[in-house]
Amino acid sequence: MTLTDRKWYKSKPIIHESFIQWFLIACAAVSIFITFGIVFILGKESLLFFSEVSIVEFLTSTKWQPMIEEFGVLPLLNSTLITSFIAMLVAAPIGLCVAIYLSEYASDRVRRILKPILEILAGIPTVVYGYFALTFMTPLLRIIFGQNTVDIYNTASAGLVMGILILPLVTSITEDALKAVPYSLREAAYGLGATKLETSISVVVPAAFSGIAAAFILGLSRAVGETMIVALAAGAGPNFTFNPFEAAETLTGYIVRISGGDISYNTVDYNSIFALGLLLFFMTLILNIISRSLVRRFQEVYD
Amino acid sequence: MKRIFFLVIAASILTGTVFAGGQQEAKGTDMADDGKFVWIIESEDGILPGVNPLKVEGDIITAGSSTVFPLSEAMAERFKDEGYNFNITVDSIGSGAGFERFTVAGETDISNASRPIKDKEITAAKEIGRDPVEFRVGTDALAVTVPKSNTFVKDVTLEELAMIFTSEKWSDVRAAWPNENILKFIPGTDSGTFDYFVEEVYDKNSAAILGASNLQMSEDDNILVQGISESPYGIGFFGYAYYVENKNVLNVLNIDGVEPNKENVDAAAYPLARPLFIYSDASIMKNKPQVAAFIAYYLTYVNEEITRVGYFPANEDVINGGKDAWLKACEGMY
Repeated sequence: MTLTDRKWYKSKPIIHESFIQWFLIACAAVSIFITFGIVFILGKESLLFFSEVSIVEFLTSTKWQPMIEEFGVLPLLNSTLITSFIAMLVAAPIGLCVAIYLSEYASDRVRRILKPILEILAGIPTVVYGYFALTFMTPLLRIIFGQNTVDIYNTASAGLVMGILILPLVTSITEDALKAVPYSLREAAYGLGATKLETSISVVVPAAFSGIAAAFILGLSRAVGETMIVALAAGAGPNFTFNPFEAAETLTGYIVRISGGDISYNTVDYNSIFALGLLLFFMTLILNIISRSLVRRFQEVYD
Repeated sequence: MKRIFFLVIAASILTGTVFAGGQQEAKGTDMADDGKFVWIIESEDGILPGVNPLKVEGDIITAGSSTVFPLSEAMAERFKDEGYNFNITVDSIGSGAGFERFTVAGETDISNASRPIKDKEITAAKEIGRDPVEFRVGTDALAVTVPKSNTFVKDVTLEELAMIFTSEKWSDVRAAWPNENILKFIPGTDSGTFDYFVEEVYDKNSAAILGASNLQMSEDDNILVQGISESPYGIGFFGYAYYVENKNVLNVLNIDGVEPNKENVDAAAYPLARPLFIYSDASIMKNKPQVAAFIAYYLTYVNEEITRVGYFPANEDVINGGKDAWLKACEGMY
């Protein structure tokens, strides 16, 4: 845009323009203030918690039961990581395959049908997924592995269903990353005699690697914060176990159970949920920062 | 026209009691003339004034015990069926949480409880100008249940019960029982049922049960029912009504050889029988005639509904004690 262009642009009436500009700035500011407000409250209430509980005990002890002064976050953190890991076991490979298909193989017609169907998955309320886990996935696991091996509430079922939940997210970001790979790279591969599969797997996917990684990490951060599915299907008691067929409460599950019971204010239970909230906040924040920096890197390469 | 008349009366009741200082039992003699409840009809039981639900106006907020919840809900349902046309909320959040809202936040009109109010809760209530009045509404036999598929445990002693909820494996309690993990499903620490169980079985020391392995806690009794019924080696406890509702998937245990049923509860033979209460406050009942009406209605008809809900009627004297408390709290208004 040249200088003269700008003059022409500026000569238009600007009163309502500046009003709109200020309005938009205010909207942006509100969301920033809300974020700071949340961080402030989380921090303030967590300070109360950490004034009573040492951070070393919080991060190293393997028992969580605030009513009897057991404040080890590991059981909750562990089951959050297990459910998220299982979710990624589902969402990462399937998401990648679907994205490769949609971006490299599918005809326009197929894509037009398949993409909206995938997006419907993202639109299903998570409470529905929760009941799906409890009334379909858990019985299925129990048929396969036996009633006595698989508990009625278990992290495997919650994780698998959570994988379905984050599948559309992973797929659509991965597909965008694959699409962003310049066509010249594919043409070069074809020119060297590569088949379509070889091109997709050895040229397009590696070229889009950082974007794909960003998609996975965003999916992971969504899984870490997911609440309803784990609250319904993963169990309601902290349990430090690596067995995905046992019941084990996650960070979000504990928060929702304790706050759902209208707990007494100013008790250590009440403050504990803010400390857990802060921990969750940092986990997703770090994951999001990583994924953003990855996305930026992959944009820089080909722009 | 009539409606306006009632509104005027309601307003005069409100202002009347506010000026009379709330707590003091309506000492203003002028209230006896025009300050009476408008919903009064002929007495049903000869003690409490009868309630015409059609003439009761204003919303009622109740919260508390998940054990009392089905009973209060049944009474609220019947109250509405007979013509009460406003909102009555019954929140199932646990006795402790219910008292929190009644005595600290002061948000609720009636608090449902499956345990008596604690001294510190009374103190908290007095700080916000409330003086809790207790109404006994029935008796529950706390039901210790296992899934229908469980064939090895039918009868336990209180000592074994205490061991079951703290032990790792069934065989740790009785050698003949299977060497399998005990999956425990119990009400959360906000619940009166939890408090009662800890008091009766662990002598008020909750540390042992809270530290137990394979423990699932929820304020939602239906989650407990599902957990127990679907876990071959599961066990748990809750109010008898939830057992009655899920008889087809659960077995209830005899405690010390005594089955929880009406005869044993009436004879005070079942060791885990406990009273159920609702709480309100005299000034709330006077300022909100709808609350007084609902409690009067509750106390009058509770014994017609309670068996259907799955609990046991309290004996006549106990119910009448509640009725006397009502008459005392609402003196001058009927």
